[in-house]
Amino acid sequence: MTQKPHTIEVGDGAAIPLKSDKGLFTAWRLAFVGALATLTWLAFTRPDPYMKIITFVPDGILVTFKVTVGAILLALIIGLITGLGRISSNRFINGLASLYVEVIRGIPLLVQIFYIYYALGRIIKVPDILSAIIAMAVCYGAYMGEVFRAGIQSIPKGQAEAALSLGMTRSQTMWHVILPQAFRVVLPPVGNEFIALLKDSSLVSILAVADLLRRGREFASESFTYFETYTVIALIYLILTLFFSKIIGIMEERINVDR
Amino acid sequence: MSTGERRTMVQARDVVKFYGQFKALDRVSLTVYEGEKVVIIGPSGSGKSTLLRSINRLENIDGGSMVVNGMDLYDPKTDLTKVREEVGMVFQSFNLFPHRTVLENLTMAQTVVRRRPKKEATEKARYLLEKVGLSEKADAYPGKLSGGQQQRVAIARSLAMDPKLMLFDEPTSALDPEMIGEVLDVMKDLAHEGMTMVVVTHEMGFAREVADKVIFMDHGAVVEDGTPEHFFTNPTHERAKLFLSQIL
Ligand SMILES: Nc1ncnc2c1ncn2[C@@H]1O[C@H](COP(=O)(O)OP(=O)(O)O)[C@@H](O)[C@H]1O
Ligand SMILES: [Mg+2]
Repeated sequence: MTQKPHTIEVGDGAAIPLKSDKGLFTAWRLAFVGALATLTWLAFTRPDPYMKIITFVPDGILVTFKVTVGAILLALIIGLITGLGRISSNRFINGLASLYVEVIRGIPLLVQIFYIYYALGRIIKVPDILSAIIAMAVCYGAYMGEVFRAGIQSIPKGQAEAALSLGMTRSQTMWHVILPQAFRVVLPPVGNEFIALLKDSSLVSILAVADLLRRGREFASESFTYFETYTVIALIYLILTLFFSKIIGIMEERINVDR
Repeated sequence: MSTGERRTMVQARDVVKFYGQFKALDRVSLTVYEGEKVVIIGPSGSGKSTLLRSINRLENIDGGSMVVNGMDLYDPKTDLTKVREEVGMVFQSFNLFPHRTVLENLTMAQTVVRRRPKKEATEKARYLLEKVGLSEKADAYPGKLSGGQQQRVAIARSLAMDPKLMLFDEPTSALDPEMIGEVLDVMKDLAHEGMTMVVVTHEMGFAREVADKVIFMDHGAVVEDGTPEHFFTNPTHERAKLFLSQIL
């Protein structure tokens, strides 16, 4: 008896390329090559202002990247704890995890970012970028918690029963049997969340964090080249999300190859 | 079987189990002595799995008592994992760990639960794989094995813990007919080596050949309890007669 791979649906994030999309003119290629070509063409045909913009914003790309990676790692930890809390039979822990998820899901991300940023500022003095990372992670941790919960619950009950029958404790069962299988299940939705977070990280530009969008705003307000600047910013975001969705697609395929 | 001072491996007394309003076990009592092979037979839904799963407390019972290997499962001081270490269980659906190789399936609990050194656990695993005739599959993933092979691995995985008692819940029911024999052979070998076994099965040939005691369940109750000769030649209850006439 072979077990079918489990899938769980998550709605947001970029389109992760389907394995069946193997043709030359896939939507992904068209968009990726198109965006790159447009950017290059603009830079060479109209170096002023495009080349200037392109050389001005890379600092911001690095910050965007830091915020995204930092937040996703922290969100994974928060998500794992929340997911475990959501399936806990302990009423208090379960209630706490559920409350966190409900509260976070009910407040707009932008409001949360403002709130956590200023709330943190009242308690401790942390660098702005760290505040931004924490704010994003607290929000995404709630979504990640639901992804982990669904992932854990998608593993057939017989797996835990077999582990318990061998004398394993509940936590040994979770750690050695359930979670390794659940990780494989949650990889696609986590990849989706990563892409979504990459895009949503642009919201931190309203804080004093010099991410890609913020750098663009700085440049635009000094040079009054609003249209040109946001064209470049949009193209760079597009290239980044397309690039990472491809990487994630490849990772998924790798993981599904054996076993 | 020899007499004398035989240890009691399972002592179930008046076990009652409800699923909501539904009474799945109705005052079931069962005694299994060390070395004994008990086969549980009965129509689908009669409570066979529920009884078996309550022996290692995969199911909680609502009444009566259950003492396994000298430990009362419902004594708050009893460490359930200590009971389960000594009680192997084989499932209808194998339940091998798909993310681990066959060898790792056999070493995991040895190292995690028994805290055996990796080398010792691996040696034990290889020995058992050879015993069930699957040495060459040690590094394969379970998904690549046939049903019969998976079930033999599952049996070996349980045996790696050196259990004192083995529970089997319809171990051949999910198998293609041509694979049933290989699994039953492994179980027969185990029986001849003196393992204490409780087996839920529809394989009447196996029951006849191996069982010291046959239990017939219906509607959550034990309605017949005796030797295979008694059960197969002149069952006392109408339901057992009817069941036998249908299955044989
Ligand atoms: N988890 C459960 N929830 C509700 N009813 C159950 C559950 N497990 C088993 N039952 C019911 O209990 C009865 C006995 O089940 P089971 O012990 O699996 O029977 P058997 O193994 O003899 O086929 C059946 O009627 C079944 O529908
Ligand atoms: Mg059953």
